[in-house]
Amino acid sequence: MEKNYYVCTGCGMLCDDIEVESEKNIVNKVHTACRVGVAHMKEGRESAVFRVDDKPVDEATAISEAAAILKNAKNPLIFGLGTSTNETQKLAIELARKTSATLDDTSSFCLGRVVEALLQNKFKVCTLDDVRNKADVTIFWGADPSDSHPRHLSKHSYFPRGTEKQRGWEEERTAIAIDVRKSHTAKICGNYFFQIPPGGDAEFIDALIAGLSGKLPKTSYNFPPKRILELANILKGAKFGVVFVGLGLVYSLENLEPLIRLMDALNEKANFHLIPMVGHYNMRGFNENLFEETGHVNSVKFEDGTVKHGPEYSIVESLKAKTVDAALIIGSDPLSSLPRSVAKNLLEIPVISLDPCETLTSRRAKVYINTAISGVESGGSATRMDGVKVNFKPVVETTRLSDEAVLKKIMEAL
Amino acid sequence: MDFGSFLKAPEIKVKVITYRDIFQDKAMIENRFGDDYRDRSAVIKLDPADLKQLSVKKGDTVVLKNSFGTIVVRAEESGYEPSHRGIAYMPNSPWSNMLVSDETGGTGIPKFKDISATVTSAKGEKVTEIGF
Amino acid sequence: MTNAMELYQMLPKTNCKKCGKTSCMAFAVALMARELTPEDCPPLKEEPKYKESYEKISGLFKPSEGATETGLIVHEDLCFGCGNCVVACPVNVANDPYGVGSGNAPKNAGKLILTIEDGIVKAQNVGECRRFGKNKILCNGCIVTCPVEAIEFV
Repeated sequence: MEKNYYVCTGCGMLCDDIEVESEKNIVNKVHTACRVGVAHMKEGRESAVFRVDDKPVDEATAISEAAAILKNAKNPLIFGLGTSTNETQKLAIELARKTSATLDDTSSFCLGRVVEALLQNKFKVCTLDDVRNKADVTIFWGADPSDSHPRHLSKHSYFPRGTEKQRGWEEERTAIAIDVRKSHTAKICGNYFFQIPPGGDAEFIDALIAGLSGKLPKTSYNFPPKRILELANILKGAKFGVVFVGLGLVYSLENLEPLIRLMDALNEKANFHLIPMVGHYNMRGFNENLFEETGHVNSVKFEDGTVKHGPEYSIVESLKAKTVDAALIIGSDPLSSLPRSVAKNLLEIPVISLDPCETLTSRRAKVYINTAISGVESGGSATRMDGVKVNFKPVVETTRLSDEAVLKKIMEAL
Repeated sequence: MDFGSFLKAPEIKVKVITYRDIFQDKAMIENRFGDDYRDRSAVIKLDPADLKQLSVKKGDTVVLKNSFGTIVVRAEESGYEPSHRGIAYMPNSPWSNMLVSDETGGTGIPKFKDISATVTSAKGEKVTEIGF
Repeated sequence: MTNAMELYQMLPKTNCKKCGKTSCMAFAVALMARELTPEDCPPLKEEPKYKESYEKISGLFKPSEGATETGLIVHEDLCFGCGNCVVACPVNVANDPYGVGSGNAPKNAGKLILTIEDGIVKAQNVGECRRFGKNKILCNGCIVTCPVEAIEFV
């Protein structure tokens, strides 16, 4: 009998095999999902909230106030969308064009650089299904999927049997962790955990490249050359290798040049692919949708039919320089996730917050609309961390509007 | 607050590395203004030798300070081997973000995982409440 | 995990023998061996002054209920539902190769030992575990794959 599976939108893995027991639009039990996924699917319950200046209002008032803020702004910032569907993201791009807005998402201060490089074909890529079916060597570099993407190892990267990996993880797969601390993932990797000092990634890359070509690998922090050579030998023997790139690695590199060099060196000796450890369920979708429209993955400014791009249009730099004069924040909480030294500038401009739950940002917003939880209370499509498109339907119904519906109404009001 | 007593308390410099923790993420989804999220976020994991130097027991509160902010969080032993004196770990949260520099070199990317701060005993002071 | 001595410290230490054992220490040993349960100590269960200890001890033993045959204990507070053990368990793989064996949702949940329910691992059919029965072996597939030591055998 074919079971009725739902997609979990709790993280960038978009697990598509979740069974849910629900009654009267309340999720009672969730099968197969991890703790974060379960918390995410059981999150909703509240009734709709529309608020302007901390007072409850009706839908029409909130929408017209939001539209007025965007209309009066010379350079509004539209930000967030990592937990919105592709359809919502495309609408937001259209809205940004219409309002001559600065448009950005969290990828500008996390994995955007990596996604941009792979969309520009600078890396060989593969899907998570390829990983399950074929991968014999996987590297988690500056990434701890056990905490960020809990089912990563069990569903794709280490433990499952795949079409070409029938004998199981003990015999046919090697998982390697390179990190500054012994994370939960590093623990599972056992002897294949390579602990490097904070900021030591670029040097470790150079040493590893030296090791791959049989030279003596040297680091200023005296990492045992023998161990690097041992690692290089494992990598050289890989028939289907994958490097999962996490924030630890990206934050430690000034630019991606060392990583590109490493992937090239690995592909001279073996066969290596790269997958970014995208956190939010549809951050990759935002990057791809914007790339399709503008050739850039984030940090853009629409003006007179043209598109400007650069770090100065990222949320961090535009708040620091105070170049934006209003903000529409969709499914994100920059007052929590940005440095306070930068985020405090948001308090000086009118903010519209669309979010399923109260956040520091929603509490300080001029307009707050609590939207449906994307993927739980509303459906659509999204792009998984590896670029695979996934469609999903809502698990339960809600009276709250989806962020897509709110954006449509705001656009009509404009 | 008795600043005099802070001056006398031993102080160490640490580099704070932030990370993600699944139970903290779960707590945030359930209620980002709740006690569970605060307890799992407002915490710093130190080397046991550093705790000793600070005359702080695990579970006590400490003051973390730099030019961007000051926060009071709970100190814990990291449990990590080998010894990592001078390096401390915190789950990424609004608390750690109070200490993150606004210096980005124009890249748009703050140093979320590379925070320099001093640590002293908070002498029983309560954990910082987050708000704007 | 707790040892008998730690359990003993939480008991009434009156050696009243109401549990059928000769002393509280013997009761603690019986608890560890899962011969008896915390409810078998009437003072601990009934007297208000032991309430805290009773709840603590009950908490320690609760996760093991239903899994005592092989001594498999799940520490539910530690588990976060990654599913590594579910996918690595050789019995699970043999009984459901295209479901959990391939990293997916169970296609045949009834025949599995380990499944994930509400984000926490659940043990059932423990008689099928390779550590049980006549030809038992010291399989540790679910232990070494756990990032948080949420599974143990006692």
